[in-house]
Amino acid sequence: MRARSTLLLLLPGLAFLLVGFLLPAVAMLFAPPGVTFAQVIERMGAMLTDPYDLGIIWRTVRIGLIVTALCVVLGFPIASLLARSQSRWAGVLLALAIFPLLLSNVVRTFGWLVVLGSNGVIGQLLTGLGIVEKAPQLLYTELAIVLGLVQLFLPLAVITCYSAVAQVDPGLDEAARGLGASRTRSFWTILVPLSLPGIVVAATLVFAGSVTAYTTPYLLGGSSQRMLSTQLFSYASVTVDWAAASATAIVMTVLVFLVSGISALAGRKGATS
Amino acid sequence: MSRSLKLRHPVAGTLAVAGYVIMIVPILFVVATAFTAGSTLRFPPEGLSLRWFGEALAYSPFMEAVVSSLELAVLATALALVLGVPVTLAIHRGRLPGKGLLEGLFLSPLVVPELVVGLALYQQLMIGLHLDNFTTLLLGHTALLLPYAVRVTGASLALADPALEEAARGLGASPIRAFVTVTLPMLRPGLISAGLLGFVTSFNNVPLSLLLQTRDFRTLPVTMLDYVQQSYDPMVAAASTLVLAATVVVAVVAERTVGFAKIFGGINR
Repeated sequence: MRARSTLLLLLPGLAFLLVGFLLPAVAMLFAPPGVTFAQVIERMGAMLTDPYDLGIIWRTVRIGLIVTALCVVLGFPIASLLARSQSRWAGVLLALAIFPLLLSNVVRTFGWLVVLGSNGVIGQLLTGLGIVEKAPQLLYTELAIVLGLVQLFLPLAVITCYSAVAQVDPGLDEAARGLGASRTRSFWTILVPLSLPGIVVAATLVFAGSVTAYTTPYLLGGSSQRMLSTQLFSYASVTVDWAAASATAIVMTVLVFLVSGISALAGRKGATS
Repeated sequence: MSRSLKLRHPVAGTLAVAGYVIMIVPILFVVATAFTAGSTLRFPPEGLSLRWFGEALAYSPFMEAVVSSLELAVLATALALVLGVPVTLAIHRGRLPGKGLLEGLFLSPLVVPELVVGLALYQQLMIGLHLDNFTTLLLGHTALLLPYAVRVTGASLALADPALEEAARGLGASPIRAFVTVTLPMLRPGLISAGLLGFVTSFNNVPLSLLLQTRDFRTLPVTMLDYVQQSYDPMVAAASTLVLAATVVVAVVAERTVGFAKIFGGINR
């Protein structure tokens, strides 16, 4: 293919990418309307010293870490059971784990309103059985956000871990078991270390998704459990504070890039050692 | 037999069951409450009826939003494929310096938080350049779907042998004819996967679309989100159940054409 025709193939896509993504993103971060970059940086400095703003950043990171840990702890067993099972149900169960990825986040998150709401399943169950007199406040808590995000990102963890486990030769497990290792021991010494790169990728995707998700903290956290995403929306659309919105956007983007960068480095190191 | 024995490992089994409960059970409760005859979102539902399905289908903001979302998703997906496939060809077949960098550039919309992109488009294009919100949404969704088009069709193209197209050229076919009759059929699975992924991603999107709404053109997920925040009746449960039913249809189509697991296996790597 000649250089000129290659360029012709590239240009339309490149133009869309620039107008629909790159240029606006750069302009928003560095020069929002009527605000100088110095003011954005100043606002970011204020954010990193203000206890309220720091609380939101810390809540976002904390929820991200908890959700990531839970998704790996729940997702890896599902992936390894499905990848190693020869039952014909394994295919059905895998499809069931992937299906939620196709389903709207709003629909999935809405389910927790039914489960956790004041007239919800858990509240009715607890009061109905006489365990508590008044249904406990479950909605608009950090627990609700964590549950909602685990539901959202577990399918991603399962499918990423699944492809990692599927690449590990089952013969290795069998050899270890044949040499007398227990099932638990072969799981921890063979399967987990050999699937570790996949687990790291899964963890990174889940963390990046959790700290930037909007629907879940909006519906399940309300205004008392603000995260960076809901705070960003409120700066952009309620108070129209462009400096604060850009500063929050920078914090959020840096957080994601930092974690993705660390994980990419870890992956490279793992590959060479 | 050790392969099936693992299923009986108690700790792993318990964790796996807990995982499935969290993934699936809330969705089942949505369906159950949609059939209530009562007017509150409670469980167990008070009586059975299809009343809320009727209300959801008669509620014009939802119906208008369905049309808007379909329109946007179809156009953005088509545009992303029309723009993305040539880019894939250029990256994989062209002689260009810095191919890795170029591919990274086209995948970059995947790594920047969508809410941040939404803010940027709202501020710079809608407020700054006075673009109308449909154009802005279409630009944003297309850019968001480009990575899917480039990466997923790229995986198909990598499997296609360039020698076949050269052979067609050698036998006298024009470059366009050789592409359409030889290479394009080999890209089919990738095109279907990227198309389905793109459509679903665009149709369900909230963070990118959130700030780009106006009264004249609103997408379905954002309309539903607003409705939930204002009133707490089972109509959204009914609307959600209808969305769920439509998603099942999409899933069946995906399974029949390229295979479910394959579609989603490609995008993460």
